[in-house]
Amino acid sequence: MTRSRIVGLALLGALLVVALALPYLGTTSYVISLVSTILIAAILASSVNFLVGDGGMASLGHGAIAAAAAYGAGWASKMGMDPGMQVVIAMGVTLVVSLVYGLLSMRTSGIYFLMVTLAVGMVVFGLAYRLSAVTGGENGITGIQRPAFIGEYWTYYYFLVAAFVLTTLLLWTVSRSPFGSSLRGIRDSETRMRSLGYSVAGYKLGAFMISGTVAGFAGLLSVWHTHFVSPSSAGVHRSVLLIVMVILGGVGTVLGPLVGAAVVVLVENVLSNEIERWPTILGLIFILVILFARAGIVGSIAKLAAKLTRRSTSRSPGGGSPPGTPVSDRNHTAS
Amino acid sequence: MFEPVFLAQQALNGLSFGALLFLLASGLTLVFGLMRIINLAHGAFYMLGGYVGVVIAGLTGNLLLAVVTGAIVVAGTAFIVEFVLLRFVRGQELPEVLVTVGVSFVIADLCLAIFGGDPRTLPASASIPGSLVIGDLVYPWYRIFVIAVAIAIGIALAVVQNRTRIGAIVRAGVDDREIISAMGVNIRWVFTGMFIVGAALAAIGGTIGSGVISIRPGIQDEVLLYALVVVIIGGLGSVSGAAVGSVLIGLIDAFAKAWIPDFAYFTIFAPMALVLVLRPTGLFGRTA
Amino acid sequence: MKSTTMSTRGRWAAVAALGAAAALALSACAPPGSAEPSATQEPGATGTLKVGYISPITGNFAIAGQEMVDGWNLYWEVNGNEVNGVTVETIVEDDAGNPEMSLTKAKKLVESDGVDVIVGPLLANTALAVAAYTSSVGIPNLHPVAAADDLTQRQANDLTVRTGSMSGSQMNYPGGVWAAEEGHKTAVTLCPDYAFGWESCAGFVQGFESEGGEVVAQYWFPNGTSDFSTYVSQIQSAGADIAFVATAGGAPGPDFLRSFLGLGLGESQPLLMNCCSMDQATLRALGAEIEGFNSVSYWAEGRESDAVEEFSAAYAAKFDGKIPSANVAGGYQTAALVAKVLEEHGLLTGAELVDAITSYTFEDSIFGRVSFDDYNNTVGPVHIREVQERDGAFYNVPIRTFEDVDQWLGKDPADVLAQEPYSQSFQG
Repeated sequence: MTRSRIVGLALLGALLVVALALPYLGTTSYVISLVSTILIAAILASSVNFLVGDGGMASLGHGAIAAAAAYGAGWASKMGMDPGMQVVIAMGVTLVVSLVYGLLSMRTSGIYFLMVTLAVGMVVFGLAYRLSAVTGGENGITGIQRPAFIGEYWTYYYFLVAAFVLTTLLLWTVSRSPFGSSLRGIRDSETRMRSLGYSVAGYKLGAFMISGTVAGFAGLLSVWHTHFVSPSSAGVHRSVLLIVMVILGGVGTVLGPLVGAAVVVLVENVLSNEIERWPTILGLIFILVILFARAGIVGSIAKLAAKLTRRSTSRSPGGGSPPGTPVSDRNHTAS
Repeated sequence: MFEPVFLAQQALNGLSFGALLFLLASGLTLVFGLMRIINLAHGAFYMLGGYVGVVIAGLTGNLLLAVVTGAIVVAGTAFIVEFVLLRFVRGQELPEVLVTVGVSFVIADLCLAIFGGDPRTLPASASIPGSLVIGDLVYPWYRIFVIAVAIAIGIALAVVQNRTRIGAIVRAGVDDREIISAMGVNIRWVFTGMFIVGAALAAIGGTIGSGVISIRPGIQDEVLLYALVVVIIGGLGSVSGAAVGSVLIGLIDAFAKAWIPDFAYFTIFAPMALVLVLRPTGLFGRTA
Repeated sequence: MKSTTMSTRGRWAAVAALGAAAALALSACAPPGSAEPSATQEPGATGTLKVGYISPITGNFAIAGQEMVDGWNLYWEVNGNEVNGVTVETIVEDDAGNPEMSLTKAKKLVESDGVDVIVGPLLANTALAVAAYTSSVGIPNLHPVAAADDLTQRQANDLTVRTGSMSGSQMNYPGGVWAAEEGHKTAVTLCPDYAFGWESCAGFVQGFESEGGEVVAQYWFPNGTSDFSTYVSQIQSAGADIAFVATAGGAPGPDFLRSFLGLGLGESQPLLMNCCSMDQATLRALGAEIEGFNSVSYWAEGRESDAVEEFSAAYAAKFDGKIPSANVAGGYQTAALVAKVLEEHGLLTGAELVDAITSYTFEDSIFGRVSFDDYNNTVGPVHIREVQERDGAFYNVPIRTFEDVDQWLGKDPADVLAQEPYSQSFQG
């Protein structure tokens, strides 16, 4: 266990402690509600992050998957079913929608993959408008209630913290598993993996199913937080912002989605209180991050930390290891 | 629903809408297809060109001046975007996405601040009044003019691409950058130039299009979506593909809204999804 | 490397378990921030009425959102924001037309800023979401512009009032009546393909059919349509006596009219449009080309009345000679209502504020004589208007007025609420 690892874990631990203590630090219910929004966006962004980082597949359709799950829960609520059934229907819808996405897109890659997910997303958006008997059309569905044991704003907040930690762990575990390694292999070179006998389409479908499930879960959490759903959740604007959050935070990093989500949500909801031209500021943030922190905020911090660590652990005054030192003894960092 | 006047009108509706799409999509397919730059700010260039054009047209009553001014303003903006921002992320798809999304946000919001939120259309003084009348068929001259402009630009692009040296350089440079550099051509400036040309085409589309579709907040996302659909269907990098794709989408849109209105919303995205699943490189695209 | 991975995993699991345990322990006691919003005031009190105003100031609906705010602010600037010892303090928040943002802003205004009443937001889905929230925390919600039928029907609640506009079906019903009375026997309609459009067309259809008219065809355009030429062609081929066209405001109004005029129907096809497609934004864009065109709305900026003249003069003075649109009028009217109520009762909050507003009859408002029904919806005049030129600018001038129009369209409220929501297939 190297120092950078210890520092990293300590930071994560500190973050968790702060998150848990937040409602008791004299904050209003509004602030907790805002942080809850960030957590939900972070979970959704994590699903995209997994697909982009490990799978190399950038999707513009995850907003629509989350919205489909939200509509599932909303419809169940409208029909008078209890929250348990909301979960069942929401996750059921998620699996179906993710499967459709996956089947349509598993043979495409790169820009074409992006466009297929966009197209399916727009179809979901259109259905949300047209099937108004089910979805409430433009007006959406209001009055969706969550289970009583997480009914309070602060109990729900803890539920969200736990949900975020667990989904992050889940995605991290999948990423570290053999499945994840193969996925990264496919990301790097499809042809090579195919020639090695891997079912590329199968892996991509699997990755999409996992990612889609997390996205649908986020959609359910979202509708439990706001108590309503409307077609704008399925629109392309939301999905573009998800990709933006992922890149902003740092593709493939563990906390990148959280940081990216925090930036976007805070600018949209807090900065907009003070500055009328907040969309310009948001756009400038995107541009500046790319210019000065190409690997995203978390990614760049990690790189910077690694650079500083390497410098402080460099051996002789001449810098670098002495010649002749076996390669495995230099820069020993746990992976 | 099948009377000749109705059919003729709908066909012209589809063709003129398709012409507008071509103006949009031709710029995007050049940038996207040839240089593999994901420019999500393309819609914002259309919007900026449209606003500037409408303002100049209102002041001078001269359409040509409006078009040229709009194109110059956007070309300048595109130059700054390419030179200051995009060249740092050349070839990296995701950073390109973030940068161009950021540019789009900034341009769209500044347009709101400068030009206000009212929808703007081309003033009558700069437009072409009157309609073509053939028996019972009445059709506005301006929309026929849009078709003519699109054809003219399409021919010009084809000529440049296939008959001029610069076109040959661009085509070659896309296939193999090193060879072109080795031949002493500064490939960097060629690419910058192509990006500017693509943006200028969007601006021209914006000004000309303002006589058909008003320019207003949100137009940048709408037109970007349409342009992407056309480019995908036609094939990345193919101007002829963009032409065919735009006409196809324009006609499908017009007739579907008349004959199968229940699916009116999906008439844009269903063809795109079909193409992507069956023939991802588009009707005229080259296999990667 | 395997052992390191295992211990790393173990550490992660430990951290997670710790977190879960802590969460469980902490969840036992509620944090201090979970207090209820302040209780209602004593009537006749003085003090401050804090207003949270939510509107789309950026994004696709910026013009409507800004105008709504301008109308509200204009009233307080002209009349002073102190009424009967009560100071009216307004906090304006942008929601960019996004329901998630609307809700977050509403929470901020209520829970962080402690406002007494929320005004807005604009769009139907944002309005319904905020109304559901505000009623759950006991805060009144006033709507200056939102036109969704359900706000004062199926999703009505005691704390939500539609103060500055009318519901979609309500404001277009008289249009149908007028069209039939003008001698038109057949009609064709074109409306947006979502709730607002279904409700608007349903209003016209019921009005038209109640006077013996026949609707021969109904066309629906998807949200986001920019090119209306295909629909104009369909209207032409339908060949009805009159065409009723509704849009939700903004660009579709001028876009439709351009195609309509361009395809030569300006002279040959009688046309009736709704409030929002023939609002000032359209008149500014097309002016002389649509002189004499008819529309139906609750707002007529060309109406001869002292209240309207005072309002228009103040607006023109502040905004470079501009003429107020329905969005501005809605904001101004809401402010005027609040002021009247404060003048009579002093500082009121909560349900008492809502009761005072809904039991008030506003005789000489900028809309005319306005009162409220049992579902907190406006009851007032609807005008058939004509575009007329006056001093180089264009106004919607009333040529016929229907007084005291309510949202029930001549039916019993219980019957209306029992019927299914309006859709393409159900138009009343």
